[in-house]
Amino acid sequence: MSQPSIETIVGDRKSQPHQLIEVLQDIQEVYSYISQEAATAVSHYLGVPLIEVFRSASFYKALSLEPRGKNVITLCTGTACHVRGSNPLLDQAQALLKLDHDHGGTTKDGLFTVECVNCLGACAIGPIAVLNGVYHPHMTSAKLTSLIAAVREAEEMRGTDAQT
Amino acid sequence: MPRLKAITELFDLRAQLQAARAAEKTVITVCGGTGCQASKSLAVIDEIRAELKRQQLDASVKLRITGCQGFCENGPIMVIDPRNLFYCRIVPEDVKEIISQSVAGTEVIERLLYTDPATGKKIRTEAEIPFYRAQDRVLLSQNRQIDPCAIEDYVAIGGYTALAKVLTEFAPEAVIAEIGASGLRGRGGGGFPTGKKWASCRAAAGDEKYVVCNADEGDPGAYMDRSVLEGNPHAVLEGMAIGAWAIGAEQGYVYVRKEYPLAVAHSRQAITQAREIGLLGANILGSGFNFDVQVARGGGAFICGESTALMASVEGKVGEPRAKDVHTVEDGLWHRPTTLNNVETWANCPSIINNGAHWFASKGTEGSKGTKIFALTGQVRNTGLVEVAMGTPLRRIIFDIGGGAINGRAIKAVQTGGPSGGCLPASLFDLSVDFETLEKAGSMVGSGGMVVMDEKTCMVDVAKYFLAFLLDESCGKCVPCRIGIDRMLEIITDISEGRGRPEQIPLLEELVETVQETSLCALGKTAPNPVISTLRYFRDEYLAHIREKRCPAGVCRELIAYVIDGEKCTGCGVCLRACPYEAIKGAKKEPHIIDALACRKCGICSEGCKFEAITISSGGVPCYSM
Amino acid sequence: MLQYVTLTIDGAKVRAPKGTSVLDAAVHDGICIPHLCHTPDLSDIGACRLCIVEHVRNGTSKITASCTLLVQEGMMIRANSDRARKLRRNVAELLLTEAPNSRAIQDIALRCGVKEARYPFRNNDCVLCGRCVRTCTELYRGNAIGFVGRGKNRHVEYPFGTRPDTCVLCRACITVCPMSIPPCDGPMKRGEERFCGKCESQLQIPQYESGDCVRCDLGRGFSCARHR
Repeated sequence: MSQPSIETIVGDRKSQPHQLIEVLQDIQEVYSYISQEAATAVSHYLGVPLIEVFRSASFYKALSLEPRGKNVITLCTGTACHVRGSNPLLDQAQALLKLDHDHGGTTKDGLFTVECVNCLGACAIGPIAVLNGVYHPHMTSAKLTSLIAAVREAEEMRGTDAQT
Repeated sequence: MPRLKAITELFDLRAQLQAARAAEKTVITVCGGTGCQASKSLAVIDEIRAELKRQQLDASVKLRITGCQGFCENGPIMVIDPRNLFYCRIVPEDVKEIISQSVAGTEVIERLLYTDPATGKKIRTEAEIPFYRAQDRVLLSQNRQIDPCAIEDYVAIGGYTALAKVLTEFAPEAVIAEIGASGLRGRGGGGFPTGKKWASCRAAAGDEKYVVCNADEGDPGAYMDRSVLEGNPHAVLEGMAIGAWAIGAEQGYVYVRKEYPLAVAHSRQAITQAREIGLLGANILGSGFNFDVQVARGGGAFICGESTALMASVEGKVGEPRAKDVHTVEDGLWHRPTTLNNVETWANCPSIINNGAHWFASKGTEGSKGTKIFALTGQVRNTGLVEVAMGTPLRRIIFDIGGGAINGRAIKAVQTGGPSGGCLPASLFDLSVDFETLEKAGSMVGSGGMVVMDEKTCMVDVAKYFLAFLLDESCGKCVPCRIGIDRMLEIITDISEGRGRPEQIPLLEELVETVQETSLCALGKTAPNPVISTLRYFRDEYLAHIREKRCPAGVCRELIAYVIDGEKCTGCGVCLRACPYEAIKGAKKEPHIIDALACRKCGICSEGCKFEAITISSGGVPCYSM
Repeated sequence: MLQYVTLTIDGAKVRAPKGTSVLDAAVHDGICIPHLCHTPDLSDIGACRLCIVEHVRNGTSKITASCTLLVQEGMMIRANSDRARKLRRNVAELLLTEAPNSRAIQDIALRCGVKEARYPFRNNDCVLCGRCVRTCTELYRGNAIGFVGRGKNRHVEYPFGTRPDTCVLCRACITVCPMSIPPCDGPMKRGEERFCGKCESQLQIPQYESGDCVRCDLGRGFSCARHR
């Protein structure tokens, strides 16, 4: 399992400080978060002070300084979805996955991350939940429960497959 | 496709492509936009390809995948030409029948036709559907005709003709004059006259200038820009090229929010294809004009929709706005003159050049010309993208196009303009939708979001929602925004949780003034708008929360109680199993009881109750039953 | 060769070189405009919003921060009108109730006319004025600290919470920090934060009408720009 190195991801953008956010997003896509090592490497290759790399990673919601779970559930909390009932979905996700924050978080076993986003632009078919990049329209708490259960089952099977 | 080196070559290519298009006998158009994709249109498309092959029709039938049509709730959407047959809510299992009956054959499959929710009648063509019929889809209609990933389609319908015209017939000042005469005003929310902006930028000192497309569209409930950029990226690129010619720029940036992966992909692809064919890059069509565009992704920050924050983000920094005593047309990206416009603004430019300023100005009102795309969402029957002439009354959009309320409830208000806008009560629905009128009423056109709210929406909760949103998105630099919005939210939270005191209203109003006047940027300055408009039109709801500790709409969790009506409850146990907090107890076939202490008022129990046995009451008064 | 412009601040004609901010021009001529995040020799970020003034143009007046507004010939500024003072007072009140545990902050609140605090007190250790960050970055080129996070979570921190090698413990950041000056009776206990209203700046201002500088001792050791 070889992930590309930070240097490879930076590619031909060395010494181009204005590419910082694009580079960090590319790293986020591969590694699912920005580690201190990755940030230090970016600081070196791009010529940006480490504090600036850290600032951007902490400012932009698309970037995460903590490792994210294997399966990312994104709940839309935009106006249209809110009016149609996105709050119960958050209640449901938090209760099922035993998360203590009021706005999502990552499970202790690292299997799930629940995050809220302020509008995905699919307002007509809300409330929306996105699981690993796949959009699920007209979400209800019952559907969400089944979705999470399906993922859990798949993970368990993968676990048993790995053992055999 | 070969690289075009002269304008005549563009016209030749177009003629060729138009001939090829005219020769297309049967065309199946399927929407591949984000909304329809969520409804699994990709699986439908795969099945169509496979089935066409199986029935040996893949050579004679053209399958065209378009971008968003703005009718997402009824997706996946399909149109079969030349019969102009409109099918919706298709699943892969329908495909075999569709190909055999409606493509190879001449049958109509009734169950796949659109049903008008008002009359129950089945409708065959798009044009007859009331939602579409009442609109004026000047810009959006292009989405219907083109595959955004195929530049040939855009060229075939006349794309890049405006750019060619500008390069041969219009001096930069003439372009600015034409755009100015059209009356086009910024479609992103500011409503600033586009011609005036371009003129200032042209006049600004500096050899290197930029054009930027703001595709950050952070307003929750707005997705017009997503649809235009996903479905018609070349219209935006052509508009930017025209603008660049006018102000004297050679480089452009499209700043797309990260939450729109399809728009990012399609704009990147459109740029690549335009470069290959010679419509972007050096010496475009042999005119000597150089122009290229790059895509920059947003990082999940609403504040980056603000022009100075957006430019900071493109420069690789955090999205903190700066004071705008000096405008970005003089001092913008890398301190150089920059013209920043919204997606829809850019996309309107080619048609203005092609059809003339008069054509654009013939629609709309005195101060607000042309058509505008609105995103109609919330508690209406037909949600989707609505393009109408400026000056259309709210009533027409909400009732004629939107189909009125769902579930027979009463529509209470419409929220326009996103978090910077305001809520307008039903009594004002005869107002015309244009920049001046909505602003006078205490709201704004904004980027075009229109959220319809019914009696189950609490206006105090709406104010709370927007304040929480803005606090979350605030960059945090200045005191009135970071702390002021927080304190406004603190007061409104007190009110919504039963701790409201009468003296908090005048304090809230003074805080509103402070935040509005002293905030550094427009996020802070407009943050109080939802508070102001709800206080103005729905003061009675605030007073009920404060004086009677009652939430009339049954929303504010601290002030409501969920109660099971023992008479109606059959003891089926659905709610007991559904409750995430285990707050419901009861034996099978016996009336169940909700433990008020454990209940978190999430409402999940009522979602599943088939007997309308769960009631919400507030302040000792029932709100309504579910 | 400096180019000078003449502008009017509160009725007084002020001459200042082009490129100066309205705040600098005013303070230099003895017109007092309260400020917090503005620090001599550092860039202006317009974060505290205390230095707001009315910029009068074409018959309308716009509220804007004077530290980021550059002087122009013929500019008309009202720094101490009723409107400016009311807004400034409200901003100072927000600041005070956020972080009362500092004599400098209490001084500023008094100087801006705060008489009562209408919000529940909080006890934050930082007002996010950015003096420390800018001192480290612009003056000493340490790049050791910065503003991290967004909105309510905005705070000053080392990268990844670890003091980097570029920090040589010069303590310049602490020297310029308004929170490092405790109130007279020492740091207030949590839950017992209050606005005592006895700071020196208040004692030196009788009934304050004009914008003249009274050379108030705005927190000993935390001089305003006039006190170089």
